[in-house]
Amino acid sequence: MMLVNYIGAVLLLATGFYVMMTKENIIKIVIGMGIIDYGLNLIIVSIGFNEGGTAPIFTMSELKPGMYFVDPVPQALTLTSIVIGACVTAMALTLCIKLYEEYGTLNSSHIRRLRG
Amino acid sequence: MIQHFPILSIMVLFLGAFLVVLVGRSRIARTAVVSAAVLTSFALMVALIKPVMIDGQIISYWMGNWAPVSGYAIGIGIEVDALSLFFGLLVSLAVMLSGFYSFKYITQDDSPDLFFTLYLMLAGGVMGIVLSGDLFNIFVMLEVMTFAAVALTAFRSWNPNAREAAFKYLVVGSLGSTFVLLGTALVYGQCHTLNLAQISGLLSVNGINPTMTFAFALLFTGFGVKAFMTPFHPIAADAHAAAPSSVSVLISGVFTKTGVYGIIRVSYFLFKSMGMSSMQTGLVFIGCVSMFVCVTMALNQHDFKRLLAFHSISQIGYILTSLGLCSAIGIAGGLYHAINHTLFKGLLFLTAGAVLYATGTTKLEKLGGLARRMPQTAALFMVGAFSISGIPPFNGFVSKWMIYQAAYEKAAETGSIGYAFVTVIAVVTSVLTLASFVKVGQSVFFGELPVELENVKETPLSMRIPMWIMAALCLLTGVLPGLMQQYIINPAVRATLDYKGYIDAMMGEGYAAAHLADTVPLAEAKYTFAGAWNPAFWLVLFVIVLLGVTVAMMIGKSGRGAATAIADDKHDTFFGGEKNTFSQVGGGDLFWGFKYNFRRYLNVMGNAHSGVVNDYVTWGVIDLALIIVYCFIFM
Amino acid sequence: MKNTDNSDLIVKCLADKFLPLSLVLGLYVILHGNISPGGGFQGGVLVSSAVLLLYLAYGYKGAAAAISGKILHKGEAFGAICYIVFAMLGIFYGFNFCRNVLFSRGEIGDIWSSGTIALMNYAVGLKVLTGVGFLLMLVIGLLAADPAEKAPDASEGGELK
Repeated sequence: MMLVNYIGAVLLLATGFYVMMTKENIIKIVIGMGIIDYGLNLIIVSIGFNEGGTAPIFTMSELKPGMYFVDPVPQALTLTSIVIGACVTAMALTLCIKLYEEYGTLNSSHIRRLRG
Repeated sequence: MIQHFPILSIMVLFLGAFLVVLVGRSRIARTAVVSAAVLTSFALMVALIKPVMIDGQIISYWMGNWAPVSGYAIGIGIEVDALSLFFGLLVSLAVMLSGFYSFKYITQDDSPDLFFTLYLMLAGGVMGIVLSGDLFNIFVMLEVMTFAAVALTAFRSWNPNAREAAFKYLVVGSLGSTFVLLGTALVYGQCHTLNLAQISGLLSVNGINPTMTFAFALLFTGFGVKAFMTPFHPIAADAHAAAPSSVSVLISGVFTKTGVYGIIRVSYFLFKSMGMSSMQTGLVFIGCVSMFVCVTMALNQHDFKRLLAFHSISQIGYILTSLGLCSAIGIAGGLYHAINHTLFKGLLFLTAGAVLYATGTTKLEKLGGLARRMPQTAALFMVGAFSISGIPPFNGFVSKWMIYQAAYEKAAETGSIGYAFVTVIAVVTSVLTLASFVKVGQSVFFGELPVELENVKETPLSMRIPMWIMAALCLLTGVLPGLMQQYIINPAVRATLDYKGYIDAMMGEGYAAAHLADTVPLAEAKYTFAGAWNPAFWLVLFVIVLLGVTVAMMIGKSGRGAATAIADDKHDTFFGGEKNTFSQVGGGDLFWGFKYNFRRYLNVMGNAHSGVVNDYVTWGVIDLALIIVYCFIFM
Repeated sequence: MKNTDNSDLIVKCLADKFLPLSLVLGLYVILHGNISPGGGFQGGVLVSSAVLLLYLAYGYKGAAAAISGKILHKGEAFGAICYIVFAMLGIFYGFNFCRNVLFSRGEIGDIWSSGTIALMNYAVGLKVLTGVGFLLMLVIGLLAADPAEKAPDASEGGELK
């Protein structure tokens, strides 16, 4: 398993959480959610890696029975996670547009009508 | 044929959602499609009661017939045992009743076809979570459910706060989904399988390595976000208030139960960590904090639905406390309270929706005296208020009694003073709930009718019928607890404590014995009630007292004016008797002395719920860090 | 936001040339999804990038004239219903849900060798194509309506930190 991947993924997750916690512009919060998605996808793909394995595809005639290949299940999980991340970003950005129309500002400290 | 029923009851809801898009314009076709979908789903769940609950069979179903190969699960599985069927029944009942309510209710909004599409997607997603036997399938359905709920929260264009509530819900909700996915990936890295039964067979508590402790903390917190555990509850208050009422029923009654179901599956089945006393203490602590914080916040509210939302989370705190006690009566009390909470909280939210439909506002200061114009709605509200406060003969009494008894027995068994304190907190929360609902009842339904609400009409019949059905179910589950326990609760309790049966049903006989190197005994699956009480006697007593109070009120009514008595009461009780021109106590301000005495605590709490998204995310991440540290120290 | 000048000749010319390429590439990725990397989602996103190309070249009015939102909306539901029907074929034939019921047609490497998975792949491709296209049309429509409502000299980005 590759150490660089895991360290990079943890750094991405930490950066994403930091952006979501401290930045006040709501579009930056959406960007923070995207960075968390990148870190998460990197972790999932790196879990399935086997050293020296080849791609798990039959029709390219690389794979003969008994050969060593990487795990295809985390690749499917990552695909699903990317799709979900795209949908979350789309919905969040649409809500940002609608919030700007209603409140006139993109600052999350001023979008505070529901409190207490 | 029986084994196809679970997957059919999920797919019928999704098929209905997409058919509504195609035929959405015409009202008759839309009503027909939605009714057919929710009725079919409910009927399929009811048809499964006899094989699964009464005969004790566990349905295990592999999609695509991919059966396990040499002991490894390679397909996606669906497994329905009594616990899953219990939650499935709860979900499909709430979806059906709320669906029938929304046919008339949604005529006040535009684009009803989009509403029903999202509604059926939400229902299908929740059914997918409770019936699935595969960890990643649970995650995908969790995301489908979150999207549909966020879109429905932002649905009303004439509510100016709806978009803000939806944005906060999306940010914090996707935080929870991130935690669940990270936990799933780590579990996959250890076990190389995603099937719940096989993971449960491969993981063991005594030989746990730090990665799995981390994964447990992440999964627990992730499902806790969906169940609106304590630091994550402000978004629930915003979302319930902004969403249409039939969707608030689903968010409070069904959505939170999937979080509870996820916590049960992770703690009782996957990691089997509930046998350790430190984990029990942790979950009981979280439940108690949820209960107490939310019921004190509810005293401060001025909006009807926001107040109901805070009470909803406080009742979820009851359920989490009772599940954390890990004894048979604790689990039984928790599950019974889950179904009671869906019924009475659903009834209360539907009443709030009826008030909103008739008057156009939910602010407590602007409402008042509606019982004269909407008598049936007022009666239904009183049924719901009595149920949530735990007054016999309604259903809240039974489940709260079981929770008090469970906490008390745990205190007697372990001898620690902490669990006795839990009983005290539970009873105090119950009293504060009753106080809060007296205030709401006075300010919305009794008291003086404002001038602008003179011509409100009673709710339409098609909205009243689901409410009456829910009220009847509240009464029935309170008066017949023995029947409920024998057929529905006890099989679910046995299924919760029997993880070996769960594993063997999916992976073949003998798998559990071969692979589970050590077992942590959870609890015995037997319990008895303390004390002797008969609900029929309480019903008779209740009717007599109600008749007496009605007679007394009708006799003494002639000499009472609307504005004279209240000001004098305030002077007599709290002041020395000096008259003050501006001290009128409105109906919504009934406990002003109590609030004044605790103003420092209520101010701190009010400022903590600041309304800024970054604060909510910070609370969430701090809570995750605390839970991770706790798990590492104690596991 | 910089006011995009819609009479830019180079952008229009390039968009005209690249539009058929992206459509064909996307459809190829969808159709061969069961035997080569790609599949329904990836191909669908490639095809729906045609909407963005039209927007860049012709503006919102040009894109809305070429693509109709209603057909995309109904097509999305149709794709999803097709997926559920293909998955239910397993139940009708007597097996479980999502079972492959078209056996033994061709060897490994042909398009028709995978059975029901190929049909489900096309249904997913149709759904993603229409769904993402409709989503892009909605967001472009929202943005196009915005600058007409607000005054041009109002602060556009809010307060940034």
